[in-house]
Amino acid sequence: MQRLLILACAITVLTAPLAARAAPKADDDPAALQAAAAQLDALDKRITRLEDANAVEKVQRAYGYFVDKAQWTQLTDLFAKDATLEIGGRGVFIGKPHILDYMHGAFGPDGIKEGQIINHMQFQAIADIDPDGVHAKQRMRAFVMSNGGWGLPLYENDYVKEDGVWKIKTLHGPFTMYTSWDGWAKSATPNTRPDTFGEPPDLPPTVVYLTYPSYYIVPFHYPNPVTGRPWKPGTQEAGAYASPTQVSLDNPKGSPPKGGQQ
Amino acid sequence: MIRKLLIAAAALAMATPVFAAPDAAALQTRLEALRHRVELLKDHDAIENLQTAYGFYFDKSLWGEVADLFADDGSFEYGQMGVYVGKAHIRKALTLFSREGPEFGKLNNHMQLQEIIDVAPDGKTAKARFRGMVQLSRSGQSGQWGDGVYENEYVKQNGVWKIAKLHFYADGFTDYDAGWTKSAIPLTGPSAAIPPDKPPTEIYRGFPGAYIPPYHYDHPVTGKPMNIPEPADSVLGRK
Repeated sequence: MQRLLILACAITVLTAPLAARAAPKADDDPAALQAAAAQLDALDKRITRLEDANAVEKVQRAYGYFVDKAQWTQLTDLFAKDATLEIGGRGVFIGKPHILDYMHGAFGPDGIKEGQIINHMQFQAIADIDPDGVHAKQRMRAFVMSNGGWGLPLYENDYVKEDGVWKIKTLHGPFTMYTSWDGWAKSATPNTRPDTFGEPPDLPPTVVYLTYPSYYIVPFHYPNPVTGRPWKPGTQEAGAYASPTQVSLDNPKGSPPKGGQQ
Repeated sequence: MIRKLLIAAAALAMATPVFAAPDAAALQTRLEALRHRVELLKDHDAIENLQTAYGFYFDKSLWGEVADLFADDGSFEYGQMGVYVGKAHIRKALTLFSREGPEFGKLNNHMQLQEIIDVAPDGKTAKARFRGMVQLSRSGQSGQWGDGVYENEYVKQNGVWKIAKLHFYADGFTDYDAGWTKSAIPLTGPSAAIPPDKPPTEIYRGFPGAYIPPYHYDHPVTGKPMNIPEPADSVLGRK
């Protein structure tokens, strides 16, 4: 809303000089016309940025709706040709064909099946368009409701505008938490890993972390909106044990870590 | 405030004469085009607020407030309950969900999320897809999760956006404790007590049935229409 208010002000401010300067002698005052044109250019840029923010949000929300219905080919078409995809702990997949391979490997062929639910709800967008107007970053939460239980991926993605169309350039979706229908108080599914996935990645994971009950703070692409200070990662360990005890491949019984604090 | 500013801007713009010089006329045309784009952005914002307001009223069974969000000839369709037309009939139909007004021990949350809003280029109509996450309860008796997708249409009348057509495609409902793997609650069909004006526009089952609510938008990147074959359904006999 505030953005629109600022725009409305801008239009008012812009129109005033047009009327004051251009009106009385516009026909023979190229300087006034030139100044007005420059103001229109600046306003056009600002309006375009608002339209771009909407478009970038739309691309990511459309991604979520495609996951819902296992529309992997159409989902892959949301990516730029040389885009990358990194989800959970399985490493980096490069290029549209390999991105499609990843989706088919993880979920099976195109098309939702009877009895299958893989809803990928996309919430809480923070979209920022770069000053160049052709690159953007967006943080967005995903909330998964599936046969397997609940899941919480978090996206910090890059986008690129090619021929006037916004596409996903880098999709990075570290997991916060996955749990079965027993609920997150009793059950926590460990992070995925390259060695337990059929499709080998092009590059190893860019970051190694544990999921809930451990934690990992996905770096924020934006500075604090109030102070303007960029976020700096802390020096604490990336992933500490906490209750409930994590059941994982390395800890199948869910035993507390030796000597560790629950 | 915004309205006042825009009026001020419009007044100033009108005070600007149309120039004979092509450059000045071109500037005027550009200004009008920019003004239209700002208007479309405001429309986008207004529809987001309209649909989220629907959710907040629905949560508390404020059926009068919900019905007033619709255009006079607006329609309401929820899952397989059929189509109700007109504010009065919509308000009556909503009592099928609960009596009017909040009740102790009841949750009727209908969250409005993940919007994809497309305003028509002329700014008079719009379409939107929203995610509907549903949280229902009767305290001490039952708790349910529900899920679905809205594909709605809106109309701007006398400068005010209203719901022209609301269609909630319910994905399904499940018992909170059991979850989707153990519980699938069938969708409610048309009511005999308060019959709809029209039968459901599309026939589908809730989970475990699979159905893809048609998209109002073309593919955001390729621009191609999304012709989606509906998934097979063993009960409905769809192959």
